[in-house]
Amino acid sequence: MIELIIRRTGLLVLVLLAVSFMTFMIVNVLPGDVTAVVLGDTASPQQAALLRERLGLNEPVLGRYIGWLADMLRGNFGVSLLYNVPIAPMLAGRLLNSTILAVLALAVAIPVAMGLGVFAAMHRGSTADRVITAMTAVTFSVPEFVKGLALILIFGIWLQILPGSSLLAPGQSPFSDPAILVLPVAVVAISMLPYFVQITRAGMIDAFASDYVRTAILKGMPRHVVALKHALRNGILPAVAVIGMTLGNALGGLVVVETVFSYSGIGQLMVSAINARDIPIIQSTVMIVAATYAVGNLLADVVSIALNPRLRP
Amino acid sequence: MTIAMIPMPIAARVAPTLAVEGLSIDYGPVQAVRNVSLAIAPGEAYGLIGESGSGKSTVAYAVMGYLNSGRVSGGRVVLNGADVFAMGERGLEAVRGSVVSMVFQDPMNALNPSIRVGEQIAEGIRRHAGLDRRAARKRTLELIGLVNLPDPEAITLRYPHQLSGGQLQRIVIAMALALEPKLLVLDEPTTGLDVTTEAVILDLIADIKARSNVALLFISHNLGVVARMCDRVGVLYAGTLVEEGRTDDLLQRPHHPYTRGLIDAMPSVTAAREMVGIPGRLPDLAQVPDGCIFQDRCVLATADCRHGVIPMETIGPGHSSRCLRWRSCATELAPARPAVPRASLAGMAPRLEVADLTRDFPGAPLFPFFRSRPVVQALRGVSLDVREGETVAIVGESGSGKSTFGRLVAGLDRPGGGRILFDGRDISALARARGRDDQRDVQFVFQNPHSALNPHHSVEAIIGRPLRLYLGLRGRALRERVLEILTAVRLGERYLTRAPRELSGGEKQRVCIARAFAANPKLVICDEPTSALDISVQAAILQELRRLQRESENQTSYLFITHDLGVVRQIADRVAVMYLGEIVEFGETADIFTAPQHPYTEALLAAVPEIGRAEQANRRDMRLEGPLPKPTNPPTGCGFHTRCPRVLGPLCETMPPKQSKAEGHWLKCHIPIAQLRRLQESG
Repeated sequence: MIELIIRRTGLLVLVLLAVSFMTFMIVNVLPGDVTAVVLGDTASPQQAALLRERLGLNEPVLGRYIGWLADMLRGNFGVSLLYNVPIAPMLAGRLLNSTILAVLALAVAIPVAMGLGVFAAMHRGSTADRVITAMTAVTFSVPEFVKGLALILIFGIWLQILPGSSLLAPGQSPFSDPAILVLPVAVVAISMLPYFVQITRAGMIDAFASDYVRTAILKGMPRHVVALKHALRNGILPAVAVIGMTLGNALGGLVVVETVFSYSGIGQLMVSAINARDIPIIQSTVMIVAATYAVGNLLADVVSIALNPRLRP
Repeated sequence: MTIAMIPMPIAARVAPTLAVEGLSIDYGPVQAVRNVSLAIAPGEAYGLIGESGSGKSTVAYAVMGYLNSGRVSGGRVVLNGADVFAMGERGLEAVRGSVVSMVFQDPMNALNPSIRVGEQIAEGIRRHAGLDRRAARKRTLELIGLVNLPDPEAITLRYPHQLSGGQLQRIVIAMALALEPKLLVLDEPTTGLDVTTEAVILDLIADIKARSNVALLFISHNLGVVARMCDRVGVLYAGTLVEEGRTDDLLQRPHHPYTRGLIDAMPSVTAAREMVGIPGRLPDLAQVPDGCIFQDRCVLATADCRHGVIPMETIGPGHSSRCLRWRSCATELAPARPAVPRASLAGMAPRLEVADLTRDFPGAPLFPFFRSRPVVQALRGVSLDVREGETVAIVGESGSGKSTFGRLVAGLDRPGGGRILFDGRDISALARARGRDDQRDVQFVFQNPHSALNPHHSVEAIIGRPLRLYLGLRGRALRERVLEILTAVRLGERYLTRAPRELSGGEKQRVCIARAFAANPKLVICDEPTSALDISVQAAILQELRRLQRESENQTSYLFITHDLGVVRQIADRVAVMYLGEIVEFGETADIFTAPQHPYTEALLAAVPEIGRAEQANRRDMRLEGPLPKPTNPPTGCGFHTRCPRVLGPLCETMPPKQSKAEGHWLKCHIPIAQLRRLQESG
């Protein structure tokens, strides 16, 4: 088990190295001159050349990559071209905001989805099961921004009980006004739900149809022991794997919601950086999202292995 | 036989542990079980025999009040004096596991993969006996010792995937015995196991029966197993109990044509017989025919058999048959004939010559960049030849490498070393790299006919494909040839347009055989071609294979891969016995089946349960104990020495010499032939 985690962590470092190389390269071959973005269209060629020199853009690409990587490992993410301030503190605040949003959404979605999925599987074919399945199909097919706008319309504009925008002043914690979190968390949780519910339901249906559940019934185990001890442990394994993958994607998946609600998280930062071609910010945010993805997957594997003895060597 | 000594009228004197009274169960429109009655006395073992679709499992589960989607449309089940269907959910929970418990067919799936096996035994004890954790644990350890598993402490902590099939079945038995139930239901308890493991599990069940008063309901399709284990037997056909009687009486003197057909279809290891299948197929149980349920497949049926209710008639003490013509069974049904001895093929030219074939499977890592798992040595230097028109059987248990060998000869896989010569040409390549003629000449019949046919193609397209590919037939010529082959495997023109899902298992396998034979092959590799089929169908398919071989223009040879020694005895000219990737004995079939043999061959034969076999042939001293060595790390010297009942000592850790007892027969063993003969003939 410990050995496995160490090995997986080693693998994770390799993956992140590959990601960093690709991010660096792709951003550097994107169309649009950095100097034009920073200096504006009126800049003279001399000014542009001076800036290129200052940013080190004339150095060989590989050397720049290694330097960038080394800086990043020391916690130095560079300086924003647009705002001309160090990126690291800005990134930290945004990352915290996004993490709060993602964790709250997962904390709502996982128990609700598991409950609904297990319930639907236990009452397969009933009206309740059909309602749950229909609801998941509808919420799954509606795009996230539509869900977001619909909630803003209902709760923010018609009922006027929740703020429709989640704008934060720089440095302000979202917990200082918890009401602004409700709608974004709801949208993210609702978007995660359908998949979780369906996977849990399918896994539990398989488990209920299995021979070992029949064994438990014929051993005289009462219904709730059969369901919660024998079926659940195996039935939720596929859901755990899927949730783990979502966990990895939790930060990256916030882009739309953060933009709709003007919530100052890392997704929103990434979008504005891409619009402004603020290359150091693009690179840093992509790296952060990739790193959480990899760590999330590692966590999911560890949980899967802990729950499933067959995966242990 | 000890079985015959048990006096019959026990059931009359003591209240039966189980009484099934006129039980009928429907699945929707299908009347799966109809009016079945039987009773089992305390301490008695009752065998319920039937093929697939007979309803035997439905009866077994109904006894425990477990119906799934079935519905009881008549009758009742009285267990230990109480009506099972009147108990309600609470009542059933209370009797399941404590009064009646079950041993399942497939122990790997019957145990929960995520719970330690000790806890799976203990939870039932805590639930029913109200013991605390410590007491339940103590009882669990006792039970694991009772089923002869070593080191109970360590075993309780294992998960199912860490144990072998035989060990798992012992755990399931321990679980079933935990609360000393009155009735033990065994649903095909040894069907998925190797024959040597089966023998050990049957020994265990026999011991449990001998020292307790538990009643057994033993469900099986295997007459040999039932003959060994049961006092009385009921034969179930298409949901109807057609015959019932004392085991030896019923199996020696069957008085129903179906029972008789089953016995004749059973391949025997003691003698080669002309095997006869039962023609036809199960009736549609959504529209149960009037009269006898077996009428369509019965050679004795008369007009009287086609209407009315056929009663169960008593034909002797404790023996009854649901047949109007039971008196004719003994006189009109011809006895099984001994097989016509086949002409010796010793002078025929070799068709397939395999020398020193090896194949390793490097263990793929569990995750990328991880350490590889150890190399599995599937074949460790196998040499073999097959002559023109000959059938060579490769027999071995799971993990022996027999299927890998077949796949290499067929070109489905590449050998690691050694040579495969076919008609003198080297074909040690994948099938797609072989020449067109070599592809045509070597064909394959797979184990599972249900997955070997493309579900979207018609029978005509399936059989026509090799003809178009290899012989370039088109249009009328193609159609005529397809029809000719279809007729040869006894399927008529009406099958041309059918899709595989419209065929029964036996019909599917006939189509597979037709496909293999379409382009006149010279060698057909048959990998367990009948193990997915019922016995009555198996006999017919084996006969078909023999007839096709006899009639083939090319003197077609067979490489016949199987685990079933009875089938080997009936079909093979020569036999190779494989153990852990090596051939340990090779020779003429008759020589292999008579003493002296390699100790492994001897152990295999001693393990086969068979009707009418003397009890001494069931020798417990030849049981294989201990686990099969890992194919990643096979023992040095003789591969069998870790489990050999006749092991000599350190000598066996060196390479054994090849010895021979007859012309063209060899076996690899350190014990001299003369001494083996003395050991084996003295028993």
